[in-house]
Amino acid sequence: MHISHSFLTWVAAILTIGIFSFLWKDNPFYKFCEHLFVGVSVGYGIAVTWYNGVYPDLVTPLFRQGKPLYIIPLVLGLCYFCRFIPKVSWVIRFPMAFVLGWGMGVTIPAWFQTLIVKQIQGTLLTPAIFARWDVLLWAIISFVGVICSVFYFFFSKEHKGALKLASETGIVFLMVGFGASFGYTVMARMSLLIGRLQFILRDWLGVIK
Amino acid sequence: MKFFHYLLKIDRRIIYIVMGLLVLLPLVKPLGLGVTSGPRAARLFRAVDSIPAGKALLISVDFDPASMPELYPMLTALMRHAFAKDLRVLLCGLWPTGTGLAIKAATEIPPEYGKKYGEDVVYLGYKPGVDAVILGMGENVKNVYPNDYSGRPLDSMPMMRRVQRLRDISMIVALSAGTPGYSDWLAYAQSRYGMKIGAGLTAVSAADAYPFLQSGQLTGLLAGMKGAAEYEVLVQKSNYSKAYMPAVAAMDSQSLAHVVIMILVIIGNIAYFATRKRRS
Amino acid sequence: MKRNIPLAICLGMGILMMIQFFVPHPASVAFYDLTTKWIRIVSAFALVLGVGSFVMYHTEKLRRRRTGWPYSIVALVAAAVSTVVGLAWGVKQTSPLQNYIFTPLLVPLNASMFAILAFYMASAAYRAFRARTKESALLLIAAFIVMLGMVPIGAAIWGKLPDLAEWILSVPNMAAKRAITFGVALGGIATALKVILGIERGWLGGGKQ
Repeated sequence: MHISHSFLTWVAAILTIGIFSFLWKDNPFYKFCEHLFVGVSVGYGIAVTWYNGVYPDLVTPLFRQGKPLYIIPLVLGLCYFCRFIPKVSWVIRFPMAFVLGWGMGVTIPAWFQTLIVKQIQGTLLTPAIFARWDVLLWAIISFVGVICSVFYFFFSKEHKGALKLASETGIVFLMVGFGASFGYTVMARMSLLIGRLQFILRDWLGVIK
Repeated sequence: MKFFHYLLKIDRRIIYIVMGLLVLLPLVKPLGLGVTSGPRAARLFRAVDSIPAGKALLISVDFDPASMPELYPMLTALMRHAFAKDLRVLLCGLWPTGTGLAIKAATEIPPEYGKKYGEDVVYLGYKPGVDAVILGMGENVKNVYPNDYSGRPLDSMPMMRRVQRLRDISMIVALSAGTPGYSDWLAYAQSRYGMKIGAGLTAVSAADAYPFLQSGQLTGLLAGMKGAAEYEVLVQKSNYSKAYMPAVAAMDSQSLAHVVIMILVIIGNIAYFATRKRRS
Repeated sequence: MKRNIPLAICLGMGILMMIQFFVPHPASVAFYDLTTKWIRIVSAFALVLGVGSFVMYHTEKLRRRRTGWPYSIVALVAAAVSTVVGLAWGVKQTSPLQNYIFTPLLVPLNASMFAILAFYMASAAYRAFRARTKESALLLIAAFIVMLGMVPIGAAIWGKLPDLAEWILSVPNMAAKRAITFGVALGGIATALKVILGIERGWLGGGKQ
């Protein structure tokens, strides 16, 4: 065992233990760590946004390169501060309208192409799938699964007869899908714990190399 | 019957202790189960491997320290693979808290292969705006990032003379812990600029990415820590790296953790149904 | 005016950006370039809202001496120190922000917060995951196969288990997730259209203004 001599590694280890102490019960040390995390995240976000976003994109072109058109996004951005002055809080609608309108406008064609057109193309049964029996079978099962799962979410008509059969088949596919997601979620959460334990055992205590 | 009632009411801290010990033990005493790579990781590996020497690979670092155990090994393995193949690596990010991790990787990995910052690797930094960033890079990278993360002008970097816009990049690999992430790269970089995109995701979002893999929108997928381990193994087997593989080292613990969860679910269900029968 | 002008901006920007996707004319591309730059600047200012809410919440807690008020001092001081250190010395690799704030504080706190979820998952799995119905049993079976198949121990138990897990992910899971993707995409596009056309006005906020 080779315990680390680095002060910062000890700080990191103690904070890790502080967060983990919540598992026993809520305590002042955990609350301290929690609030420290929130505060440090905010400060880090401000610094990174300034140096990587605001300074090169606004301050430099407007004040150093003398491009007056950048006053418009500056004024729009400053409108966000009106949120905290009740009498003029409605002014925040201007930058929000600009951002929302822009965002919705670029999203619609992009999402249509990526999430609908391409996905329909992937669902369709093409001649290429007849090359092998297993590829053909899985493609048919996927096709049936997609159609039936979509039917499950169709609530404009009562699920009776053929629609009921399709809907119940869809539920089977959805349950398998959620099961797969749950299995993967377990994997994700365990990985995060293992990562922290690796830090404790390797970087702090030196038990593993 | 009392035993089953006791099982149902067991203190959660006992479960935590059992869980913690069983995950800790394989880290200290490995089980030696080994890791083999799957088809999805192999697909991504082949795609990166086929990029000609001298071309650029863009890796988007869209995660924070919370997802570090799953995604940081993917980042290091990808960078080692790229440098071994003499590719240029361009890093950027859509998450502000991923900045420190990207800086760490951009500083620690290149010297292993004699690569230099500015010539072989550049980290552009974080930029707010997501879709505006991706769409802007599509037209001109320097319009979005006039400087790198530290404020150094991109014009002063030899690597950036050959990378003007997204189409000058051979492939994008998005390492994503959620949104913004690979779905934004697919929606904007691929739909508009036809970019080849691979993804490394946390296991939580990996199951949702399969439709994109099947439709061919994604070229390869690394899912969670297992995906990172698979890629590390592929890089090592191809003699591109001899570095320590943290994801592979964690796989024994991962295996045991999954078995523990399964046993807990089974025991919980047995106890539940046993007491329910008694009650009815 | 306070509502109509923002709605008009949203409508105008939305329609222009949708049309721009299909128009390669230089004027269209120039407009696209300009608005893309402005959006990044305005988006950066949105951080103001988060920071402002954080500061207001904690200062209010301090002022009214609500339960846990000393921790608000921790949060505010941490935010202030991180911001000053970041703005003063930058975000470079050797900066105090990376060496003394990100690596020893933010990384262990952030990582540990999520690592403890593994324990909650174990406890929840034991207490709450019951195969009460056929559907939930199917979900659990799929989860077990994926959980075992995706780790080395699965291959050690049965050589075909990883292939079965891969099949579950690639066929039924893929079909279910694709159906959900269609629903999300259609819903998202419909909502985007509603926002652009002013049918959805929730973003304007309440009040008589």
